[in-house]
Amino acid sequence: MWPVAILSRCLWAHGLSPKWLKNMDHTLKHLKTAKMASALARPLITVYSEKNEKTGTSLHLPVVFKAPIRPDVVSFVHHQMSKNRRQPYAVNKDAGHQTSAESWGTGRAVARIPRVRGGGTHRSGQGAFGNMCRGGRMFAPTKTWRRWHRRINVNQRRFALVSSIAASGVPALVMSKGHMVHDIPELPLVVSDKVQSFNKTKQAVIFLRRIKAWTDVQKVYRSRRLRAGKGKMRNRRRVQRRGPLIIYGEDQGLKLAFRNIPGVDVCSVKKLSLLKLAPGGHVGRFIIWTESAFRALDAIYGTWSSPSSEKKDYNLPTPKMTNTDLSRLLKAEEIRKVLRTPHKRPVRAVRKQNPLRNVRAMLKLNPYAAVLKRKAILTIQKKHLDKQEFLAKKTGVPLQKTKQQVRYEQLIQKRKEAIQKSKAAKPKTAKKAKKAPAAK
Amino acid sequence: MQNNDDIVWSIINKSFCSFKVNTKTQKFCRHEYNLTGLCGRYSCPLANSQYATIREEKGIIYLYMRTAERTAFPNKSWEKVKLSRNFEKALQQINENLLYWPNYLKQKCKQRMLKITQYLIRMRKLTLRRQKKLVPLQRKIERRENRREEKALIAARIDTAIEKQLVERLKKGVYGDIYNFPQVAFTKALASEEVQEESDDEREEEYNEGGREEEEEMEEETRAALEDATEYVEAESDDEDMESDEEHEFTDEGPEESEVEDIEDMARPSTSKGKKSKVSVEYELEEALPEKTKVKNRV
Repeated sequence: MWPVAILSRCLWAHGLSPKWLKNMDHTLKHLKTAKMASALARPLITVYSEKNEKTGTSLHLPVVFKAPIRPDVVSFVHHQMSKNRRQPYAVNKDAGHQTSAESWGTGRAVARIPRVRGGGTHRSGQGAFGNMCRGGRMFAPTKTWRRWHRRINVNQRRFALVSSIAASGVPALVMSKGHMVHDIPELPLVVSDKVQSFNKTKQAVIFLRRIKAWTDVQKVYRSRRLRAGKGKMRNRRRVQRRGPLIIYGEDQGLKLAFRNIPGVDVCSVKKLSLLKLAPGGHVGRFIIWTESAFRALDAIYGTWSSPSSEKKDYNLPTPKMTNTDLSRLLKAEEIRKVLRTPHKRPVRAVRKQNPLRNVRAMLKLNPYAAVLKRKAILTIQKKHLDKQEFLAKKTGVPLQKTKQQVRYEQLIQKRKEAIQKSKAAKPKTAKKAKKAPAAK
Repeated sequence: MQNNDDIVWSIINKSFCSFKVNTKTQKFCRHEYNLTGLCGRYSCPLANSQYATIREEKGIIYLYMRTAERTAFPNKSWEKVKLSRNFEKALQQINENLLYWPNYLKQKCKQRMLKITQYLIRMRKLTLRRQKKLVPLQRKIERRENRREEKALIAARIDTAIEKQLVERLKKGVYGDIYNFPQVAFTKALASEEVQEESDDEREEEYNEGGREEEEEMEEETRAALEDATEYVEAESDDEDMESDEEHEFTDEGPEESEVEDIEDMARPSTSKGKKSKVSVEYELEEALPEKTKVKNRV
């Protein structure tokens, strides 16, 4: 049973009207292998006008959104990338060494740390140079030639970017990141290109309100606070959340319109940055695409069947699993058929019994041992009895009957009597009949 | 990547979820649509595209359902079904709507509905009793306001205001004869008055009567003298001279006495001879209140 068939059965079970199915464009026929079918079922995304009405246009979901989501790669690349904006810091290279201090050596009842020469001031005789000394240099003075920046492999960078774009298309991930997207019409959210020609912040705000992205911006407002720590006095005084990211194809004033709205970031499709798509190293930023940006994605990142036209020799990363629904897979017929039967009751190791000491173990191995053993016992008994008889004979003392023997004899006696009784009780005719032919 | 649930769960569980609250023993989920309130693989509304919850709004219980097809449209994803107020019927409704759904969801929905009905019952019972509203106080604000109250109290200088008011009233004549002055303050006021306004007269009379000075100096004794102003008999006075002086005073210092009497007997403001003095009564609050001058009630 194809997973698709299962899906359609589910749809029927839920009594879904066909209008929901319209958006599912199963491009199965176009695909070469059925395996990729489930992975590449590309839904249609409607483009919304700047007033939150559905325009007639609907676009195929770019294949980027089907790329594998790898939070580990994103996190690593983000970590490395964020180091690239750093400015060097170091202590003064002379700090702590601007003295001509010499150790006094031993014999003066003081510690051997180098001490400042001369006299006439507080400073004379004080310890110098050490990291433990007051006014001494620190341990391992920081240097400016520390390796501040990191290089990341191009492919890794692109992988991370592609992953974060894919994650932005999953409503659950966007919500888990904390964006207030419960009222937007669709995710990924694609808006008409009119937005690109906004040049007034007022227009931008009205647009965001209509699209129901304003709650996210409000959350930014509410999250404005002072930074904890010394950053306050280092020009990093205020902190706030990140809001929606607007990705455009062509800037016709859009940047100016949105730049004063707190939390809102703006980005061109051609210059996507991981630091904007996955702030904090976590995937799932709320992105608002303009139509031209959305269309451009397929060309920029490629589809699996066709490489990217903008990037040299680049194609989307192939996922390790095409169908990631593990629980479904484990119940699927095709897989179950091939598995061996489950061992419900596992065979546990048995402790070895020594046959020489354990009779049953011996019998398992050699059943004839029972006979031998029995025989041995009997011979012993017999010998014993013979000996007793012999002694009895010799000494002339008659053997005493054991209790068992007495009872045994009694029993036999009884039986004899019983038999005779029954014989006597039998009818004589049978006897006569018997005798008659015998006589004849 | 068609089915996302497992991927989503592996991301949410391992790294960050904004709804997750971690305590030492448990993981909670702050998502409003969560069925159990705990963070788990099958109770996470984000990690299960097919999900159902029971929620209560203003006393009405609703069943919310979401299917995989609708997850891409966040504003349309939840389908809302109003449940009957009859518990049995509501259970049946749940069974109907969640037919063929995983048992876990059905079970939890019913349990949640039970809990909700129970607490609604309790709420209704509570509203019939006395309602105490708990209002949280903010310590900082309370402290600040208290301190400001104190300061305002001090700034208002109520005592002086009252004093002024009373004096005004006194001048107006509201109180008539009936007024008790604390002795010391009264005499002080008198003294100051005499010093200020009748300096000449006093001096003359000083020369005339040597004992006058004594009287002026000895305030306590002048208290007695005042008492004697109207009552001639005074056993307390030490000096016979005083007595004689007092008598003299009474006879000679008519205007002053009359003024004194004027102060004392407010019933006759008209009798004051020319000097309707602006009496500024300076009194000191003494801990042990002294004997007040007894004013003769002249109605």
